[in-house]
Amino acid sequence: MQNTRALMACALVAGLLLAPAFAADDETVAYPAAGTVDGATGLEAWSRIYEVASHPRCANCHTGESDVPMWSGPSYGDEPRQHGMRIRAGESRIGAEHLTCSTCHSYSEIPQTVPHAAPRVGASWQLAPAEAHWFGKSSEFICAQLRDLERNDGRDYLALADHIGHDVILHWAWSPGVGREPAPYSLAEHIMDIHLWGAAGQPCPQD
Amino acid sequence: MATTITVNQTERSLISSEETPLLWVLRDELKLTGTKYGCGVAQCGACTVMLDGQPVRSCQVAIGDIAGSDVTTIEAVSGVEADAVRQAWVEMDVVQCGFCQSGQVVQAIGLLELNPEPTDGDIDTYMGGNVCRCATYVRVRKAIHRAAEILAA
Ligand code: FES
Ligand code: FES
Repeated sequence: MQNTRALMACALVAGLLLAPAFAADDETVAYPAAGTVDGATGLEAWSRIYEVASHPRCANCHTGESDVPMWSGPSYGDEPRQHGMRIRAGESRIGAEHLTCSTCHSYSEIPQTVPHAAPRVGASWQLAPAEAHWFGKSSEFICAQLRDLERNDGRDYLALADHIGHDVILHWAWSPGVGREPAPYSLAEHIMDIHLWGAAGQPCPQD
Repeated sequence: MATTITVNQTERSLISSEETPLLWVLRDELKLTGTKYGCGVAQCGACTVMLDGQPVRSCQVAIGDIAGSDVTTIEAVSGVEADAVRQAWVEMDVVQCGFCQSGQVVQAIGLLELNPEPTDGDIDTYMGGNVCRCATYVRVRKAIHRAAEILAA
């Protein structure tokens, strides 16, 4: 169903220039070229991107200047709380100065099948960079951050889509293991939304 | 295909499947029962062992991911930090029931290898994932300070 929505959004720009690219699953997907998507469609794509960015599977590790990951989401009750065990990710963002994230979050492509166990992925577990502060932040705030080259590691929207397509720690959000709610939509739909938003000129709700 | 790892300096070819947690390989297949099962979900620290020199929760490590690695359990921890921790633990009479203690000891050795003069804050942060139902925390902290003194002497 979500696929249908992304495809329909895509159809809105049909007839315009389409740029072939590769999605995370290496399936050839036609993405809209820059400037070929209208602002309203771009904003709709942004609102779906925000649903993903603000979802606990993503936001819990985007805590900004705080180096403490959060525990929030359906399995944690109503009130978000700090990661237990006095965990601090430090400036390294991998806990090197305190207790490394890898003490519990193992580097593994073997799916986590035990409910409530430590999430794991085939990458070093870590917090997002401090500039990418999403936890508790508004749609406007995150949108402004994601289109600001100073705060998104110099990525234009194509680089952002490529980063999301290839950085496997991000893919964990859609396959978080038993007992954890995945981020909404799918990885492929999310990448398509980044393209739709970018091709529309990265509109934000505050524009 | 069998996974081979080195456990306490002996190479072991394992019959367990690759997704089996290291904890169960140690306890069930290799009969090294010094490493304890508390929770199985990275919440308690009782299962802590050294993996290539770093303390890790063995309940979270699939053996398929650690082929060729070095594992050291409580049965074989050694070196100056391990000696200092052992001495300090005895002097301070840290242990109550003992169930969490192999994890506490391995984690404390990891701390002192990284930071030979830890503050209270360093200790609380580094040891925060090692839970003790007998609440030996104050003695654990004192014993780590004592081990640091022994190391400095
Ligand atoms: S048994 Fe591994 S952390 Fe509790
Ligand atoms: S000494 Fe009993 S659980 Fe720690």
